[in-house]
Amino acid sequence: MVTARADRQPWGAIIAFLLPAFTVYTGLTAYPVLRTFWNSFHKVLPRSEEFLGLANYTALAQDDIFWRAVLNTFTWACISPLVEVGIALLLALALYARIPGARFFRVAWFTPVLMSYVVVGIVWAWMYNYDWGAVNALLRFLGLGNFVQAWIGDPKIALPSLIFVTSWMWAGFNMVVLLAALHSLPSEVIEAAELDNCGWGAKLWHIIIPLVKPTLLNLLVLSFIGKMKIFDLVWITTQGGPLWSTETVSTYVYKRAFEWTSFDLGYPSTIAAVWFVFVLAAVLTLTWLFRQRDKLEY
Amino acid sequence: MISRAFLFVVVTLYTVFAAGPFVWVATMSVRTTTEISLDHYAWPQIWHWEKFPIAWFKSNYQVYFQNSLVVVVAAVIVLTVIGSMAAHCLARYRFRANRLLYFIIFSAIIFPPQITIISMFQILVQYGLYNSLPGLTLVYIAIQLPLTVYILESFFARIPADLFDAARMDGYSEWEIFWKVSLPIALPAISTTIILNFILLWNEFLYAVVLITDEAKRTLPLGIQRFIGDTMYDVGMIATGLMIAIIPVVLIYAFFSEKLIQGMTAGAVK
Amino acid sequence: MRILKIVFSLLLLAFASSAMAQVKLTFWSHWAAEKIKRDYVEDAIRRFEAANPGVKIEAQWYEKTALYASLKTALRAGTAPDIFYAEPDQFEYMENGLLLDLSPVNWAAVEPWAKEIWSYKGKPYGMPLEAATVELYYNKKTLADLGVKVPSNLQLDAAGMTDLVKRARAKNITPMSIGVGDRPYPGAYLAHEALLKKLGVKEYDDLLKGKLSWSDTRVTDTLNVVRGWTAAGLLPTTFTTLKLGESHLYFHTNPGAATMLIGSWYPSRAFNPVDQGGQPKDFPLGIMKFPSIPGAVCNECRTLSVGGSYVANAATKHPKEAIAFLNSFANPAAAARWLENVLVQTGIKADYSKVGGPHAGYFKELGATSEGAKFYFGQPIQVMQGKPKEVFTQVFNNAFPAGTISVEDAVKQMNAAYK
Repeated sequence: MVTARADRQPWGAIIAFLLPAFTVYTGLTAYPVLRTFWNSFHKVLPRSEEFLGLANYTALAQDDIFWRAVLNTFTWACISPLVEVGIALLLALALYARIPGARFFRVAWFTPVLMSYVVVGIVWAWMYNYDWGAVNALLRFLGLGNFVQAWIGDPKIALPSLIFVTSWMWAGFNMVVLLAALHSLPSEVIEAAELDNCGWGAKLWHIIIPLVKPTLLNLLVLSFIGKMKIFDLVWITTQGGPLWSTETVSTYVYKRAFEWTSFDLGYPSTIAAVWFVFVLAAVLTLTWLFRQRDKLEY
Repeated sequence: MISRAFLFVVVTLYTVFAAGPFVWVATMSVRTTTEISLDHYAWPQIWHWEKFPIAWFKSNYQVYFQNSLVVVVAAVIVLTVIGSMAAHCLARYRFRANRLLYFIIFSAIIFPPQITIISMFQILVQYGLYNSLPGLTLVYIAIQLPLTVYILESFFARIPADLFDAARMDGYSEWEIFWKVSLPIALPAISTTIILNFILLWNEFLYAVVLITDEAKRTLPLGIQRFIGDTMYDVGMIATGLMIAIIPVVLIYAFFSEKLIQGMTAGAVK
Repeated sequence: MRILKIVFSLLLLAFASSAMAQVKLTFWSHWAAEKIKRDYVEDAIRRFEAANPGVKIEAQWYEKTALYASLKTALRAGTAPDIFYAEPDQFEYMENGLLLDLSPVNWAAVEPWAKEIWSYKGKPYGMPLEAATVELYYNKKTLADLGVKVPSNLQLDAAGMTDLVKRARAKNITPMSIGVGDRPYPGAYLAHEALLKKLGVKEYDDLLKGKLSWSDTRVTDTLNVVRGWTAAGLLPTTFTTLKLGESHLYFHTNPGAATMLIGSWYPSRAFNPVDQGGQPKDFPLGIMKFPSIPGAVCNECRTLSVGGSYVANAATKHPKEAIAFLNSFANPAAAARWLENVLVQTGIKADYSKVGGPHAGYFKELGATSEGAKFYFGQPIQVMQGKPKEVFTQVFNNAFPAGTISVEDAVKQMNAAYK
């Protein structure tokens, strides 16, 4: 128990410990956030700044590219976690069942996570190449040549194709975490279930999942947050095309800030500000939801 | 009852799926583009190891690698020092603002990068740090700080209080307690954050692409773009470049995989 | 006496060092991979430095997308170079006062329409080095093998084009090589060249500026003609991801296409040495006009746009030297050198009939397609701004040629973009 006598708190030391970190935080995190909000109310040009009131916000409400980007990003952030964590759970269970070479598999499945999104983007752009990419080559090899597609060139399937890539990347990470969680479960419970002659399905649904639920929910939230931020992968593969089918909020902000024929930084700041509020709201909702479910269980 | 054999097959297939692309890039990195365009999936006949020196020296990879190394190592060192200081303080000292300050830093993990990137750009320009490696280093420290503090704080908090009381009674100063008691015990967590920060910053792209424009100051992720040039879509050289970028991370992972996994799971597992 | 000696030597030193004081101009340009253009500019730099000792120009060569990104941020940060490459669609530079007024340049040596394209509020801001038309290059041997005869006026009609597409596809040859992987305009050539012919200069201009509705039957009829070609398999399957440089190789080397619709700066890449992406030796290159459109008002209309130009940074510390360098391009001798070596049109006044050199034959063929032509100055993306420009690019550069959007939807989106 740490002594809590206020007059005995070594304030000098406390401040000394906290000062460097909080200086960095204030200067390079807190201040920029405030400044972005300030920008959002102005037209920010290289030589001048003009106060616009809510003009940027009203323009944003009517910007259908923005809303398309929001839809895309939200879809990504909702579907990807379910896929990643779902696959990860199955994989973790497979390893937990103590198949030979578990150690090797654990290491091998984790490798996609280590690669930069730039690397992943380039490799999968090659994989999705219509003429010689691995995906189409495999389909043709299996005699399924009719299913060959322009995976990232067709607006209807470009986004799912990219979601597939992030799932490929992060399933390994989620698997490793879940495996650790499984190993930390009290083995008596699992053994008891075995004794009760539960079928595999029942065992999974009624015992294992509830026990690892906190970890599952944690991973879902983590994955959700990660997908709301996604930029690099889209930038390297499709830059938001074709026809805005893979446009995410981050690629749109980047384009408006650095690529449109305008130097105005105010409007992209508005997009960032609104998105910031969205993300916070979504995360808070999720954590609240999950906590409710947690409570119901116990 | 799902047979072991079936599981094994499934697992092997998945391994091909997970590691396959990586192996493919590795094979392409030692073949020339002409060879590759003839057959994209052949195993290398001639192992063109000379492509690596070519990428390194002739295509400036040496420069990119160096820049990445300098920026990331500097950022990770500073992060570890100031992060552990802050984490130690928040974990061990009780004062009214403690949880508030912790929450302020912790919540920043959720912030999407867009909320800061534009104004970071403006700030760096204002202070003449735009398009400079020190500027990028500062930004990198800022973006990884919340996660570092979060991971370390939860670890520091688990250290039994008796150790601290004993140290205090032995007359240790606050700084000595931090340096000689907290840090050594927290070494596993600290090495986890070091590895994690290294990997995340080594691969960082968005901030680098916005804040660095000079060819000579590019970091590795930006450098890879160099081969995605105009006329010659040099698949072979890009693959070599990708390997150069991946290898340090893979090496670190190979050596520290246990620690890394332990650390990453410690926070996420309840 | 000694003091005098010291003062004298100090003065001498000061004089010498000021004579040695060099003015250094920084210069960023596109065309890193286009050898003949790069050679021309580097030669121009050497000539200028020889004629102006004490001025040194430090050139950095970039790929276009990387250049634009660097410039955007550098201009904001105040670290932009003294002189840089720009194209006339970059209104934002002029709107924000980032370019130096180039009025002192010798504009009498420059084509008036080229100067006009670079003028903003009555002042000129760019040296229009490169001008280009949209040309339909073709492989003479392939067309002969397919049994397609190019008429003497060098212009197929729309049905003839459809026929070419069908014949090529029957032999598994891609009829036309275009790639939009890394550029926002090549795919749109099909639509805008066709629309220009159908509507004529004035109404085409209205269409681009939102004064004529895209639902006009002439517009939809024309788009349906183009749709007929693309639906019959005009473009490569990798059209959306094929890069500009790759599309050249696709046409002349591997796998080889029957035709290629590209700006007349085709030689900048194609006449490189073969190992640097150039076309094979003795490649049977032909040039013809864009097909005529049924019911068109002006089948001889074509787009002439200013391409690569050089501008000066308004914040440069050496405006006089910067203007002097840009001025060094504005004379007939320099223009003639450009034509002979780079083989692309130029915005500077030049006598096209006098072009000699090893590629004079090519140049004559190029001139033949522009004979009797009426020009519209500017590509759509140079004329449009903001939302219409973005939608036009996504719809007509990418989706419409790729066949992923119908004529009705395309027209709907364009109309909505102008609101």
